[in-house]
Amino acid sequence: MSYEIDPTVPNNIVRRDFLRRLSAASAAALACSAPRALRAEQHLPVDHPASTADSCILIWMGGGMAAPDTFDPKRYEPFRRGLPVKDMLSTFPAIDTSVSGLKICRGLPQIAEVMDRATLIRSAVQPDLGSILHSRHQYHWHTGYVPPQTVACPHLGAWIAKVLGPLNPVFPAFINIGQRLEGVGESEELKAFTTAGFFGSEFGPVNLPIPADAAQSVRPPGSMTSGRFVNRNRLFKKLVEQNPQRRFMSDYQQESMLRSFDNAYRLLSSGHREAFDISLEPESSRTPYGVSRFGQGCLLARRLVESGARFVEVTTEYVPFLHWDTHSNGHETLERMHEEMDLPIARLIRDLEQRGMLERTLVIIASEFSRDALIEGVPGSTATDQATDRVDQVTEIKHYGLHRHFTGGTSVVMFGGGMKRGFVYGRTADERPLIAVENPVSIADLHATIMTAMGISPQTGFDIEGRPFYVTQDGQGKAVQELFA
Amino acid sequence: MPSFAFAGTEQTATDFSHEIAAILQKHCVGCHGGREAKGSFSMNTRELLIDSGNVQPGKPNESKLIELILATDKEIQMPPEDKERLTVAEIAALEKWIADGVPWDDGFSFAPVAWEPPLKPRRPELPPIVDRRDNPIDRILDKDLATHQVARPKRIDDAVFLRRVSLDLVGLLPDPETLAAFLADPAADKRKKIVRQLLDDRVSYADHWLTFFNDLLRNDYSGTGFITGGRQQISTWLYDALLTNKPFDQFARELIAPPTSASQGYIDGIRWRGEVSAGQTVEIQFAQSVSQSFLGINMKCASCHDSFIDRWKLDEAYGLAAIYASQPMDIHRCDKPTGRQSEAKWLFPELGNIDPAAAKEERLRQLAALMTHPDNGRFTRTIVNRLWYKLMGRGIVHPLDAMQSKPWNEDLLDALAMHLQNEKYDIKSVLYLIANSEAYQSESVVREQATDSAPPGFIYQGPIARRMTAEQFLDSVWQITESAPAAFDAPVLRPIVETGELKSFDLAGAWIWGDSAANGNVPAAGETISVRKKFTLSDDVVSGAGLITCDNSFVLFVNGRKVESGDDWSKPLAVSLKRLLRKGRNEIVVVATNAGNEPNAAALFFDARVTLANHEQLTLATDGTWEWNPNGPQSQEGRLGAIKGDWKPVVIVPAIAAWTTAIEGSGKHLLLQSVNGEIRMTRTSLLKSDFLMRSLGRPMREQIVSMRPSELTTLEAVDLTNGSTLANYLTQGATRLADRWNDDRSGLISHLNQFAFSRMPTADERIVLEGSLSPVPTAQEIEDVLWAILMMPEFMLVR
Repeated sequence: MSYEIDPTVPNNIVRRDFLRRLSAASAAALACSAPRALRAEQHLPVDHPASTADSCILIWMGGGMAAPDTFDPKRYEPFRRGLPVKDMLSTFPAIDTSVSGLKICRGLPQIAEVMDRATLIRSAVQPDLGSILHSRHQYHWHTGYVPPQTVACPHLGAWIAKVLGPLNPVFPAFINIGQRLEGVGESEELKAFTTAGFFGSEFGPVNLPIPADAAQSVRPPGSMTSGRFVNRNRLFKKLVEQNPQRRFMSDYQQESMLRSFDNAYRLLSSGHREAFDISLEPESSRTPYGVSRFGQGCLLARRLVESGARFVEVTTEYVPFLHWDTHSNGHETLERMHEEMDLPIARLIRDLEQRGMLERTLVIIASEFSRDALIEGVPGSTATDQATDRVDQVTEIKHYGLHRHFTGGTSVVMFGGGMKRGFVYGRTADERPLIAVENPVSIADLHATIMTAMGISPQTGFDIEGRPFYVTQDGQGKAVQELFA
Repeated sequence: MPSFAFAGTEQTATDFSHEIAAILQKHCVGCHGGREAKGSFSMNTRELLIDSGNVQPGKPNESKLIELILATDKEIQMPPEDKERLTVAEIAALEKWIADGVPWDDGFSFAPVAWEPPLKPRRPELPPIVDRRDNPIDRILDKDLATHQVARPKRIDDAVFLRRVSLDLVGLLPDPETLAAFLADPAADKRKKIVRQLLDDRVSYADHWLTFFNDLLRNDYSGTGFITGGRQQISTWLYDALLTNKPFDQFARELIAPPTSASQGYIDGIRWRGEVSAGQTVEIQFAQSVSQSFLGINMKCASCHDSFIDRWKLDEAYGLAAIYASQPMDIHRCDKPTGRQSEAKWLFPELGNIDPAAAKEERLRQLAALMTHPDNGRFTRTIVNRLWYKLMGRGIVHPLDAMQSKPWNEDLLDALAMHLQNEKYDIKSVLYLIANSEAYQSESVVREQATDSAPPGFIYQGPIARRMTAEQFLDSVWQITESAPAAFDAPVLRPIVETGELKSFDLAGAWIWGDSAANGNVPAAGETISVRKKFTLSDDVVSGAGLITCDNSFVLFVNGRKVESGDDWSKPLAVSLKRLLRKGRNEIVVVATNAGNEPNAAALFFDARVTLANHEQLTLATDGTWEWNPNGPQSQEGRLGAIKGDWKPVVIVPAIAAWTTAIEGSGKHLLLQSVNGEIRMTRTSLLKSDFLMRSLGRPMREQIVSMRPSELTTLEAVDLTNGSTLANYLTQGATRLADRWNDDRSGLISHLNQFAFSRMPTADERIVLEGSLSPVPTAQEIEDVLWAILMMPEFMLVR
């Protein structure tokens, strides 16, 4: 497999030049973009914490990953006709992990083996918004703010991109893998948070819904050969040089436009884009990731982080009523989900470790909420029951599973990036309601933890429309210090 | 002067402004005052301070403020660890101040002092006319320039003007033919004429300004909220309002107090399923939308607490919301109930009040009337400021939704607002005034940096170039490549025939037949004849359609291909001729047949209007120059078979009344519709947002957006460089252009430059472009040239 490099520009020069140009671009962007760093405006430097991670991979289990059937096993009741739904807590038995005394669900044997590298939060909680709409909770989880909002809220990847910039200047800072934004249910709602919001599109995301096609997104268009691509750009440059509107040569708007085209050309013609091409991965290290889109997404995420991506989200994809969104037949669906996630995630952790990157890469497995066999929302919620079959007893296999959305206690797993290893934080009740009974962690505090690990103060704010807007809701998120090694 | 009197206040009451304000300023306000409100706590005003619960008047020992100041725990102490602590004397002063009941100076606030704009309209005195520049805008700006000793920017030439004004008023590039005609027009007032003509093109105007108003009213054809039925479009109403140039006061009234459900979606906002924070209920959304769209007031801060940055208060946001609310509303401060209820109230009581006891519909009508009250200068200033920004690149008040800030020229803002009001709120009259000013028609300023970052005290130097919106960019690309999609998404009635157009449109065809109709004779039943017209076209056909009918039936062939047939003379048929006619020689043949059992009247009617690429407009209608032949063609499937025999001039048949009725009625409308339908391209504004549009800055329209991004980012450049959407348009366009210009590379180069930049290429540019195009250019070469041209800043900017 070959990739085209602009033969006129040596690679190392591309990179250095890109750095210089990018910093100029950022300065220009800062000068004109609406949001201004609050403190910068007041000449008070933000006190950012020392980072424990350089990059972050968010493994997003869109649709509501049931904690009792993944990372927080409860009393197991095998399938049987006549099983009262109220007796159903977990539909998978627990298995041992590499951490003594820590059990997770059957079906995740590979992940069980790397749990000694993990911090497991079992007490993440979300607000019950009175009615469950996945995309709304996902919006909250990804931006820290419950929609609707008066401004377009940036995704947390965009916050990281805005504050930290790209790790490797040739790379876009914020890359989003695996979620289609067209042609799937709730796509408009998904788009609403898959955005840099008021920061503007400079801060991402680059969407790569199909990992196998990712290479295409950083290649010259269509069937264009490298020679033609180079020539086309050369023609463009010559036309710019010959443009008779000489007086606008020094116009900042023209300059910044041309700089953006230079940056784009460099990304599309540089060797770094090979990171986007998973077909270049040697077969021996590609095979363990499997052939599922999610597995390939994990592989792509690893390659991108290796090459210097700052924030990568990779998802099993949210499609209403599919994957984790089990309104029916939950147990059987989760058997498939276990299989889909187990090997790729374990492999990703091992690969990062082998490459000495796990220390400085924060990997997070999270979902917008958990699921429960009986309770929709939280105990006492007015939320409408959305289970497909509202039965009291299991009479068919499709009744066997956790078919309600549950916001009272969710598991989040973190690997590397300065987090403790083999550590469990928080606890949910052993009997229903399976709510967090110890050390509940809100989305704001979880975000504060992630931001702190990345070296971003949870109080970081920007002035938007003359109003302060913070990375964690109202600047109130507090990092969970106990999680840090 | 302390104005708060409290029972038990001692004689030696605390001097707030000299003692306390300084302490607070030194230790607290950096984080909890001005524009800062760490932990959502601001002490900008006494009310905010007390409301926060951090201070209990009269009870220093129960005040959290003192507790935190005295705290020794580093986690909770105030000021925080890294800041200087208060001295014993300072603490004592604060304690006494609280014990005294927290006296405060009337009106004092730590918030930045905002300029208070006047409310009433004002007619500024116009400076004397200089150099016959008599447009009120120029009278004001010429003085402004002179005051600031700034040289007048140079007048732009006709070509630059035409491109600018077309993109600004209808969002389209002038095509090369329009450009040539404009440049050739010797009339002294041709700029005025073209401004009028563009504004009068009501469909193109509506297509273009739909984007502006969709942004301003957050209307779209897909997006969040539609999924759960929590949102309604106003597209049909809005488009019609733009078509008819609905006066802006009436426009606003119909949005605020909808007379029908068609404009209801604006005030109803977006209702998300489930619970919503108190600051984002549909009632509060109403308060925010109405104040932002029409008054340039950002009510978002005040929806949650008294604003830290301007004069608006929580109660005022709720007062506005209560006008819309069906139920009494509990006022929430930062999502917590205050225990008070809101009462319907409007922001500027000096203009009148809302009756809180009235029914909701009546309250909305009252609000609509107050909003458009003749004394509400804020309403007119806000919209003219937005229009000025669209045409001149920077608001007179900037940013546009900070209408409480000082304009850089009050006279200019007030003059424009007054003009709108005097012209019965006719938006187009303001656009007309601006576009005809010397200020508008002068060279764009070259800026070394973004004006937005310039310190206060903007000095006007001339118009500022604007980046094309996503819609202008794609429409322009589609104009050049002819690759616009055929259908659109917006539920709008987009008329393709104007009433006026129909009135002034006359059919040209005569009714014709062969010799059997000569001298008042009546042709035999069943007679079949052939009729033809041969003609030469000097250029390619850009658009063209024809109307045909025959008593009793016909088959129409164009250049040998069967195109249409019909056997009901009372229903004329329209045919598109665009892809059938060609440069050079053409032939139209109609095989016409008379029906019946005995001789009866027979005749053929044909009338076509064709526009050529060289802008020539032709009428091809049945007349005495057509020929007839007594024979029909040899049968041949779909193609015209050979016709033997001699061709002779046709006979003009006097029209019978029923024929005239048939063509003058539905026929005429049909022809005009077909002709226009070929000309009127689908516009981006009428389509659902797609990836490329979003990338180029089309907002999601969940919030009101009044300003699009002015910079093109790297990720946008990546999408433009290798995205498939644009690439497809370019491929389609290149194929067409290669076909059309295959023997004329030089003509192609001129055409592309004229279309894209409204100018001919320079000799050097021509050399560069010839270097990329073979003498007979291939589609691929043209595709790359197209890309390079379309990515030029000169193309992407409206200069």
